Amino acid sequence: MKRSRLIAALLLLPWIVTFLAFWLFPLLFSLIAGFTDYSLISRTGAEWIGLDNYRQLFSDNDFLESIKNTFIFVFGTVPVTTVLALLMALFVNKRFPGRGLFRSGFFLPSITSMVVIALIFTNLYQRGGYIATLAAMAGFTPPEYGFLYSSSTALYSIMAMDIWMSVGYYMLIFLAGLESIPSELYEVARIQGASSTRQFFSITLPLLRPVALFIIVINSIKSFQIFVEIFVMTKGKFDTASMVYFIYDTGVTTAFRFGYASAAAFVLFFIVATFSAFQFFLFRRRKPLW
Amino acid sequence: MVTNKLRVILRYIVLFCLLIIMTFPLLWMFRVALMHSGAPVGFCDIFTGVITFANFVDLFRNANIGRYLFNSILVVVIVTAANAVFCFMVAYVLARYRMLAGKLLFISVIVVLMIPAHILIVPLYVLTIKVGIYDTYWALLLPWLVNPIGIFLVKQYLESIPPDMEEAARIDGAGELVILFRIVMPLCKPALAVLAIQVFFTNWNLFLFPFILTSSESLRTLPVALAHYQGQQAIDWQHLMAGSAVAIIPVLIAFIFLQKQIVSGITAGAIKQ
Amino acid sequence: MKYIVVLFIAILSTNVTAGETLHWWQFWTDPAIKPTINSIVDEFEKANPDITVELTDLTWANGHEKIVLALASGTGPDVLELGSDWIAQFAANDHLADISKIVKDDSSEYQGWGMSTYKNNVYGFPWILGTRILFANRELLNRAGYDPDFLPVTWDDLIKAATAISALDNDIYGWGSNAAEKHRLYKKFLPFFWSAGAQIFSDDGRHCVLSSTFAVDALTAYKKLHDSCGYVANQRGIEDAFLDGKIGFIISGDWLLKRIELENRNIDLVSTLIPGPTFIGRSFMGGEFLSINKTSKQKKAAMKLIRFVASPENQVRFCKANHSANPSSIKAQKNEYFSSNVHLQTFIKQISMSDYPPVDPDWVYIEEIIEGAVEDALFGSGLIAEPLRLARDKIAKLKSK
Repeated sequence: MKRSRLIAALLLLPWIVTFLAFWLFPLLFSLIAGFTDYSLISRTGAEWIGLDNYRQLFSDNDFLESIKNTFIFVFGTVPVTTVLALLMALFVNKRFPGRGLFRSGFFLPSITSMVVIALIFTNLYQRGGYIATLAAMAGFTPPEYGFLYSSSTALYSIMAMDIWMSVGYYMLIFLAGLESIPSELYEVARIQGASSTRQFFSITLPLLRPVALFIIVINSIKSFQIFVEIFVMTKGKFDTASMVYFIYDTGVTTAFRFGYASAAAFVLFFIVATFSAFQFFLFRRRKPLW
Repeated sequence: MVTNKLRVILRYIVLFCLLIIMTFPLLWMFRVALMHSGAPVGFCDIFTGVITFANFVDLFRNANIGRYLFNSILVVVIVTAANAVFCFMVAYVLARYRMLAGKLLFISVIVVLMIPAHILIVPLYVLTIKVGIYDTYWALLLPWLVNPIGIFLVKQYLESIPPDMEEAARIDGAGELVILFRIVMPLCKPALAVLAIQVFFTNWNLFLFPFILTSSESLRTLPVALAHYQGQQAIDWQHLMAGSAVAIIPVLIAFIFLQKQIVSGITAGAIKQ
Repeated sequence: MKYIVVLFIAILSTNVTAGETLHWWQFWTDPAIKPTINSIVDEFEKANPDITVELTDLTWANGHEKIVLALASGTGPDVLELGSDWIAQFAANDHLADISKIVKDDSSEYQGWGMSTYKNNVYGFPWILGTRILFANRELLNRAGYDPDFLPVTWDDLIKAATAISALDNDIYGWGSNAAEKHRLYKKFLPFFWSAGAQIFSDDGRHCVLSSTFAVDALTAYKKLHDSCGYVANQRGIEDAFLDGKIGFIISGDWLLKRIELENRNIDLVSTLIPGPTFIGRSFMGGEFLSINKTSKQKKAAMKLIRFVASPENQVRFCKANHSANPSSIKAQKNEYFSSNVHLQTFIKQISMSDYPPVDPDWVYIEEIIEGAVEDALFGSGLIAEPLRLARDKIAKLKSK
């Protein structure tokens, strides 16, 4: 018995060691730093200042703006991505020639690096670039300086890009969910005279609930932490600074106020965790919401 | 019936439009990568104009992209193999024995998912320097060797396999390690395949940690190298797109050959939740 | 046996005196200039066989952070290349060695000491300086009806010419207006600001005078250019469009010349001094400096490397390879390379009519505040005096802490 305990310990070792060293230690370090005035550039050590960082954060305009921008981003992209992914999955669900090609094509953007996509879209969104030209053809006047250099369109442009990139991935998950619904259910409903719309709302949607929940939770968590696109495309200007961008800007560059930024990071973590828990609660209700 | 045919045609039209929207930016990238340095990239220019591989040749010869490609491949292969083995080990222990460590697993998933990496990066930087692994391959590999989501995947799978074979082998007198690696691991092939694919795709595009934890040019992976290219004055748009193309092509190839497994991998992860 | 012991000790002692390793972190990493840096280092090592130099490349994207992180964790290099706008922050936080006494005799042979002098001590050795000038596209000027040797001298000239160029075509703009980036916009605005006679701080440094009427004039002129004919993009985007022949005037530095040569660009390039309200004005000056880490144990060797890299000959070599126009060494400036190119000549003329920002540890924040004010005037409220006043208050508050 002792021997199997030893073996169990050895088996767990690589994970425990790497997790403790590379994830837990930095996490605790930051947690503590959030209560100090630790600055990366200062030679003097950090002083414990308790909740001062947190107090200051909530009167910091830039931080509050970043919270607003992040929420706009999350509430704008998650529902749209989910609905679009579902629609695309429904569209590609039946077997027809070329299905594989379309499925792959839709999925392609999501396996590409975020940096590359951001670079490409920076060019496409420029004044005179492809998207502006297409918008003009369709009758809209694109903003004067391109979509990224205007406070009214910059954040939404980045959101659109994000939806474009992730919809294929979630479409696949919905596809799997659709495939796992037994076809007999539809047979029975058809025999009983239910229309396809009725079938959709009474069979498909309820049975997709766990999948939808998974998608919404994962997508929200990722969306709350958006950073790369903003860093590459606008450097936080034109009302696009997200919370993680604020953390990066305040803590790792410009201000080098690591303690302050750590506090902000934990505020973000708290928001994300609460939001996710809330989503679980909302979707776990006995009675379907729709 | 006429309406049926109409429906089919309509469906294909919508699908094609969607396909164009979804793939156009990437096609554009490849097209620009095949243009001459300094050529205009206007609306019609991508349809006219020459096709040249000069940018790719240039990057491989003068900008050392071959090395960066090698680094990316090396890191991904090692991390994937390590994950397959280590995640399996942990999943086995957690699946077969109820332990406190199960709670730790849950915490670790939360940490990895919900904490912005930029906060972890500063203490990690200090740690890697003090331990002496800053700017080495270790810094590229160690944080990623055991992915908690991978552990979850394998653990779920293992929980659905009854321990009969292991019991039988144990009664026969086989050692624990033999049981583990010779008997149970092959049973987990589907889950491990899914794990490998997930790890490959997550790790290939990894940027922040490699960027901060290394500085030598010879250690750069493709995403890091692209960021460096972008920062230099002398790299133009065409070369940058060519570099991006190099970063995408292995993923594309993997995707084409492993499509089925990738799809089942993602969906398996989702459904099991 | 005895011989073996002696041999052993001999080997050990040669190892001990085998030499010091100097760590140098620098920013010149692209394939056009890196070989020059490498060969300078090689030559230094040959001339000083007991010193090995370990080079680390930094990018402009994250080099500043990397330096700060390294210094914070006590693993900084011996020699660091620092931008002029960072020196005060590092010096104030006690990271840099005071080299005032060591460079007393060099001061007359090099230019730019002011940017690395903080509280009367010198913390950086000037290496490559830089300024900004006005570039124009001669072909666009011709098309707009100007004489083939026209050059704008006043703001009015510039605005008129830019507007005329903008009117040529939908796709053509008169002026490149920076946005969506940090550390760029202020370098384009401050020339207007200083040309108008405005200052950030009063002469005694005790009051922030950012919102003076001179400043309002400057921002009004800058905004007029932006509003009437501005092509808005980040620096890279503006340069691309300018080199594609789509913009009439841009303010840029000597790296533009490097780009033109490396990319084989065909552009009818004209360069001139920055215009002012009624006559030619003043430009922005910055530079790359070589500093020694305060905790370095090899300060002597570090200084040797710095002197070697910044020697007149090596500066000329560097400038030739990099198309840099403003070496800090006065002897190097006299080299015939700089009179060979009319654009380099403009840079050299301009730098004697340039100012640099106050050497202040909070400069990075002040710069951000100034950029915010300009951005508000251009993209936000559209007002001029109000954003300047708000910025002034913010800076005053910052300095009073």
